[in-house]
Amino acid sequence: MQGICIRGMSVCCALGEDIGRAVDLMRDMQVPSTALQLDEFSEPVRMMYYRMPDHAELSDPARIEQLLTQVVLAAVARAEMNQAEIRQLPVFTGSSCFSIGVSESRYASTLETDPEHAVPMPLCGYQDISDIARRALGSSGDTYTYNTACTSSANALLSAIRMLRLGWYRHALVIGAELFNLTTLTGFSGLQLVDDAVRPFDAARRGIVLGEGISAVVLSTQSGDSNLEILGGASNCDTSSVTTANPDGVSVAAVIQQALKNTGTDPEQIRGIKAHGTATPSGDTAEAAGLRRVFATVPPISVLKPYLGHTLGACGVNELVLFASALQCGFLPATPGFETPDPELGVHPLKASQPAQRGRYLLNHFGFGGNNTVLVVEKTA
Amino acid sequence: MTIRIESASHYFQPIENGAALPDLDSTLAGLCRENFRRIDRFIQLALLGSARCAGECSLQTECGIYLGSGLGPIGNNVVTQEQLIRDREIPKPFNFINTLGSSAGYYVARNLGLRGQNFFISRRGASMEAALSSAIADLEAGIIDQALVGAVEEVTLPLAEHRKRQGLPDEVEVAEGSHWLLLQLEGKAGGQLQIKRFTDYATLERDLISSWRTGDVLRCGIDIDAGFASALYHALPDSYVADPKHAFHDSLSAAWLTEFITGDGVGNLFLVNGDEVRGWTLFHCTA
Repeated sequence: MQGICIRGMSVCCALGEDIGRAVDLMRDMQVPSTALQLDEFSEPVRMMYYRMPDHAELSDPARIEQLLTQVVLAAVARAEMNQAEIRQLPVFTGSSCFSIGVSESRYASTLETDPEHAVPMPLCGYQDISDIARRALGSSGDTYTYNTACTSSANALLSAIRMLRLGWYRHALVIGAELFNLTTLTGFSGLQLVDDAVRPFDAARRGIVLGEGISAVVLSTQSGDSNLEILGGASNCDTSSVTTANPDGVSVAAVIQQALKNTGTDPEQIRGIKAHGTATPSGDTAEAAGLRRVFATVPPISVLKPYLGHTLGACGVNELVLFASALQCGFLPATPGFETPDPELGVHPLKASQPAQRGRYLLNHFGFGGNNTVLVVEKTA
Repeated sequence: MTIRIESASHYFQPIENGAALPDLDSTLAGLCRENFRRIDRFIQLALLGSARCAGECSLQTECGIYLGSGLGPIGNNVVTQEQLIRDREIPKPFNFINTLGSSAGYYVARNLGLRGQNFFISRRGASMEAALSSAIADLEAGIIDQALVGAVEEVTLPLAEHRKRQGLPDEVEVAEGSHWLLLQLEGKAGGQLQIKRFTDYATLERDLISSWRTGDVLRCGIDIDAGFASALYHALPDSYVADPKHAFHDSLSAAWLTEFITGDGVGNLFLVNGDEVRGWTLFHCTA
């Protein structure tokens, strides 16, 4: 199977905006979350949060354009494309928040200054991220914007790979973006799904810790200097519950098996797994059950959410960039927060990093709406 | 590659000033396997259109769902933002979950017994084109054999706020809609859909002229500038027909497609979109 090359990539997350430094922090198992408190609501919202390293106020509506522009320009610069290629570059975006934070700020501001004319949801921003990227690049390529909860940017990657392989495009920019917004923080708080630390697959896990992050990759049918290719993957829908995959792991196993089939991969060829690992009791149960159904011996597992938090719809591209960077630097990251195995799961993430071999790796993503997406990448050198 | 249109459904409902939104509960009762609770109007519209399109067709469990929308579940997002920002209340769980565009796809899959891939895709006024492109790519790539592709647009009340949110003048009539196609590579149905991509305008125009027959319909998508649209209408004899009186929603191109297919018209519909830089996409639909 022809792999799709990652020509350029960039990320801004709690580990910083320098990929090399982010890799060093993962090697050192640094966990950069901070405490966050929102007192303006009927119930106080207190949680740990992984924020991006800029110094602006979290709710500053200008952040999205500043940070996204910076990330997109860095990824495209690393891809070393000519101007004609950049002008035609299609943009595939995956996000669960888009510009909802900007919409919240504008509505709040108008409620204060001109309440009679305040319109809720003044901005309907599915397209905003793609528009910012196109403005930054001077591009007018096609756009595809995916909103499938926590699989959004993984599905954006999947679609981009398929269209590249069909020859519809030669290059594609894929963006994952999740920024601070009140809807998400209060929404998850109301669902009582948040914990004070990320403990993936641990017996004491109680929930997620949210984070923000923006990342971009330039995919290409033309090989570059990268020693990592994306082979493809699969996506399916589990309709047993709108909030989580069935704990029996059947739909998780099905999407993994389909991803392996679509990429011509045997389970024995998988050298390691970037698990989704939200650390919710039911989410990890479903993922572990699915992995046990597919693999006689579950390959080494890394979970990246302890390093950048759960960046929701952006986690597909955010975690691809960090995982790929770690593989390129020769290691599978350890999983801070995993201490006590849960005997019911039978899955044990790495407590210490270990060398990454050449070969194929699995990247798992699961989201609300029963959306399951798995990608397969290959480290070629 | 030519894709077969196995089935289509067309729900297009202009909303008059001062009128309430039409009740969908009783219609849905006859279309849904379950009495879904905690769903919003966007989900109701998606259920209505998808169930009508699926009808008596034989659906494969791995049939992909591609739901396009410019605004998505705007009604629920409005309620959630009012609760949060104006009233300082934490969103209710199902209000929060249904802020996601993909929640509608979940209920469509559950209602129709589907477990294949399920994408919510947006491209503002060309969301149906984006959803169709994504579905056709997956059909061509052999990832799926069957795709249920739809566009859903919701109207919120009061209409003045809805228009303001979309930057529409007060006199523009607005509509809600749910427009769906069931596509597959092989099939016995009469309709066909073809997607062609062109890097230059001259080749696009030559292709259109060679395919054009009297009675065919040409529609230009939102990204075409007026100059190119005018050139196309001039190049194709009798192609300019003023738009039928259509109220506005973001996925009018979906409405054109499903209205054409479910209508009693003959001939072809050509839906063109694009520009000189990224090239041109032509959807050629035969009823």
